[in-house]
Formats: sequence, C-alpha cells, structure tokens
Amino acid sequence: MTGAVFIETFKQTWKQMVAWGFGLAALAMMVVLMVPLFDMQDMKSLLENFPPFILAMIGIGSDLEVFATNEGFVAIGFFGKSALIFAVYPVVMGMRITAEEEDTGIMDVLLSLPLSRAKTLVEKFLAYSISIIGVVLLIYLGVGIGASLGNVDLDAGRLTEVTFYLIPLMIFVMAATMLVAAVARRRMVALGVITAFVVASFMLQTIGLAAEGTVAEPLGAVSFFTYYNAGNILREGFIWPHIAGYAALSLLMLAASLYRYERRDVGV
Amino acid sequence: MAASAVIDIKGLSKIYGSGGKSLVALDKLTLQVEPGEIFGYLGPNGAGKTTTIRVLLDLIRPSSGSATIFGMDARQQSVAIHQRIGFLPGELNLWQGRSGAQVIHYVASVRGGVKSIVKQAEELAARLKLDTSKKVRDLSSGNKRKLGLVIAMMHSPDLLILDEPTSGLDPLVQQTFHELMNEYRDKGKTVFLSSHVLSEVQAICDRVGILRDGDLKAVQSVDALTNVKFRWVHVQFRDDVPAEVAQGLRGLAAVSEFNADGCHARMRLQGDFDPLLRTIAAGYVEQLHVEEPTLEDIFLAYYSGGGEDA
Repeated sequence: MTGAVFIETFKQTWKQMVAWGFGLAALAMMVVLMVPLFDMQDMKSLLENFPPFILAMIGIGSDLEVFATNEGFVAIGFFGKSALIFAVYPVVMGMRITAEEEDTGIMDVLLSLPLSRAKTLVEKFLAYSISIIGVVLLIYLGVGIGASLGNVDLDAGRLTEVTFYLIPLMIFVMAATMLVAAVARRRMVALGVITAFVVASFMLQTIGLAAEGTVAEPLGAVSFFTYYNAGNILREGFIWPHIAGYAALSLLMLAASLYRYERRDVGV
Repeated sequence: MAASAVIDIKGLSKIYGSGGKSLVALDKLTLQVEPGEIFGYLGPNGAGKTTTIRVLLDLIRPSSGSATIFGMDARQQSVAIHQRIGFLPGELNLWQGRSGAQVIHYVASVRGGVKSIVKQAEELAARLKLDTSKKVRDLSSGNKRKLGLVIAMMHSPDLLILDEPTSGLDPLVQQTFHELMNEYRDKGKTVFLSSHVLSEVQAICDRVGILRDGDLKAVQSVDALTNVKFRWVHVQFRDDVPAEVAQGLRGLAAVSEFNADGCHARMRLQGDFDPLLRTIAAGYVEQLHVEEPTLEDIFLAYYSGGGEDA
C-alpha cells in the first residue's frame, strides 16, 4: 500500500523527533532568555577587541553590527552553533534509511515485501524529512516561548527565516548521509565518512570566516555550513539561491542514492 | 516441466569480490521447484543456500544466469513476485521497539488488505502460541522465529521461501510447523525451505536438493535420500568387547567402520538391526546408542563411493 513505509517510519521516529526538538528548543529558549542580561553595545565594544579567529570560532565573523541586536545575539548565539549539534539528527536519520536496517538484516524482511527499493527509500526519506521539519517547528516554538517568558523584543520575521532555513540545510545533511550509506554499504564506514564530512565542513566554515580578506577565505565556500550563515540571513532574509542550492544538491544526492542502491547487493 | 515450475533457476552463479579474493558462492546452479511441492534445500553452513534465496528475492544480483518465479524474472519483476511469496530469513531481525502486533500490522499494510491478513495472523499466532503483544526486543529467539513465520504465512502466499525455518523452535512448535507445511501442500501451494537438518527435511519435504560449496550435487526424492541413510551405533559392554563379538560384527555385511576400544564399540550400520543385535547378544550389553548421521556423513557416503546404493 502506498505510504505504508512512510507512515511506519514516522511512527518509529516521532519520539526521537520530539526529544530532539525539545532539547534544541530548550537550548534556544535559554539563549533567548539570556538576551536581557547583556547590553548589546557593551558586548559589541568588547568583541571588537577580539582577534578575528576567535570571533570566527564563536561564529560571529565580521557580523558585529548584526550581533549587537537581540535577533543577532539569538541567531549567532544559538543558530550558529546549534546547526552543528542539530546536524547529528539528520545523520542518524540518514543512516536509518539504508545502512542501519541493512546491517541488522531488517532490510531483508522489508525488501521481501512487494516494495521496490526506490519506493522504500523515498518513503523513508520523506518521513525523516517531515521529522526534521518537526524538530525545526519545536525550535521555533522554543524561541517564541523564550521571547514571551523573558519579554524579549525580537524581530519575529527574521528569526522565522533563520529558523526555517535550517530545514533545507538538515535535509541536505540527511541526503548526503543517505548517499554515503548507499555507496559505502557498511554502517560504521558510512558513519565515519559522513561524520568526517560534517566536521570538516564546519571547520572549513570557521576557517573561511576567520580568514576573511586572505587567500584562505575561499575555503569557506567549500563548506555547506557557509550557506547557512545566521548573520547573513538576518541581514538579507532568505537567500533563495542558497536554498535552491541545498534543495538541488539534496535531490541530486537522493537520485544518486536510489541509482546506486538499485544496482547493488543488499546486506552484503 | 520447467515451463510450469514455480521456481526456475538456470545457470545461476554468484561470485563475491573480484580477483584473487573472489569467492564463488554459487556455481552455475540449475534447479526447478514444481508447484505444490515442499522442496528441501539441504546443505552444510556456507554451502550457498542463503545466497540462492537472496538471489530469488532480488536482495543480491547474480553474476550470471537467471531465476524466474511464477514465470516472472526475479530481478525485473520482483515487486509482483513478492506479492505472492512469504519469506522467513535465516537470521531474523525486526524492529526492536515495536510489538509483534505492530510489526504484523505494518507488514500487512504494505501488502494491502490489512483486516483479513491480520485475522489470519492472529490465527497463526494462536496455533504457534505466540504472544503478539510483546515488543520484539522482549521476545526469545524462538518466539521471534514464530513471529517471522506468522509474517511469512499470514497472507497465504503461493510460495513460501523459508531459510532454516525451525532453527530455535522447541519440538512442540516444530511439530505445529510441520503440520502447517503439510496443510500448505494440501492447498496446492509451494514451499522452498533450506535446512542443514536432515531429519527436518525428511519429515516434510517431497524432494531435496543437496548443495555443497555452491554446487548442486543432486536433486532427488526424500525416499532416495533415505536410502543413503545409515546410522552410527555405539555399544557399551560391561567388559572389554568380546573377541567373538568383534569378529562377528566385522563379518556383517551391514556393518562397516567397526572400531573397538576397551568395552566400547562403534560401527556404521546400513541396513537392518537384527543381525547386529543377535551378534552383540553374545556379550553383556550395558548401553546401546544409535546416532543419526550428520549431513556431512550423508555427503561423504554419497560422494565417496557409498552413493545411492550405499
């Protein structure tokens, strides 16, 4: 029956979705509640004396003007860092699409049912994508509740954009994980490769931010995290070419995963 | 004959890896399974039984050759084929956090017609004495196996493919399983089951294929296989094996590989017990133990001169 894998996958995932969502929402709420504790202009003066690399490590880069606003503080204080933590979630879900169930032998049972491999993978991909959206919605709720509880004045429009921008980013990470798992077959190998990819991307983003105006700056462009820059989003709103890039690459990786998975042995 | 075969495998080879590290798991396998029969696929561990099944299910792709099920190509038309088959893997793993009933419902929803399938699953679970309310992670290996059987059979498939189906089942449940298989055959459905347990295959199968090192050595009726069968007999005398008994046993046509060690004698018996019993009666027998041959013994008998006449 169409949608059975999608429904079951979501049923098996919603608890993790809620747990991750609440965890990240609590973190977001905490950052929002910290806003009244700081004088943003004092903070800006203080940070102006920091070396660029330290600012890059914090995730600020040259965005001191943006940072010296309530939204900037939340965007860079939470969203800049949470992206790396949140990226663990799509990696876990991406592993579940093929590698995990292949390693445990569950895929043998599933694929012995009247299901094509492509349909199975696409339904799982969609279910996990929905769970990513669920986590993002809970984060958004956390920011809203934090602002309400702390009576923090935030530009809801811009923070909405920063929050929902996470969706294409995280789906991209999941698609990359799915592709690696489809190619590597073994769970541990796939996990190692995708972890290295995510961590290296984060480091390259940091180097790119720290090396602004130097020959090392273009390195940042290689990182997929670079295209989720909370400061930039606050300034410019949705950067549609970046979102389209994430979406196109995700679709490309999904198609490549299906192509590879369709042609190889399962569970060997 | 082949045109009507439920399973028709032609020249199927599967080679894992490449170059010096390649492993031939199946070597030009050709085999037909006819409608309405229970076909036992017999071979020691590592013979290629599971590989054959995985090719039939399109989980792995053959290096050469072809396989059809119900006349449909196992690879190109796998979804249509899977609609009509039930499968139990040798090493069954299911979603740990889901209950048996939830797993059944999931599989039924993929197949379509949830209500009737679930009803049949409940009946099967009752016959196998399986509590489907427990989570998979809380089920014993035997109960997981029962759940696997329920999932494989609950939609009354035309073909059952079972990999080591009774492994881990207690004897009473094995009996129920044998009954289910016989009922299946009576309905005209086909069963393809792999096993390395000779007695199981003898109990329920019509024909047997013997596989070793990826090579199909023989396909024969169970009766023919039984003719190959012999037993190992162990006799424990109160004192040392009497010389006249040893001499008498060595002289029996049905006895071979006689070995005496102190008061213990071991021999291979192929044929009736009577001459042996009369011979050992000359001594004081404390214990008599009859051991069924292992599959390896059968293979050795079959391929080292014993053959079908042995």
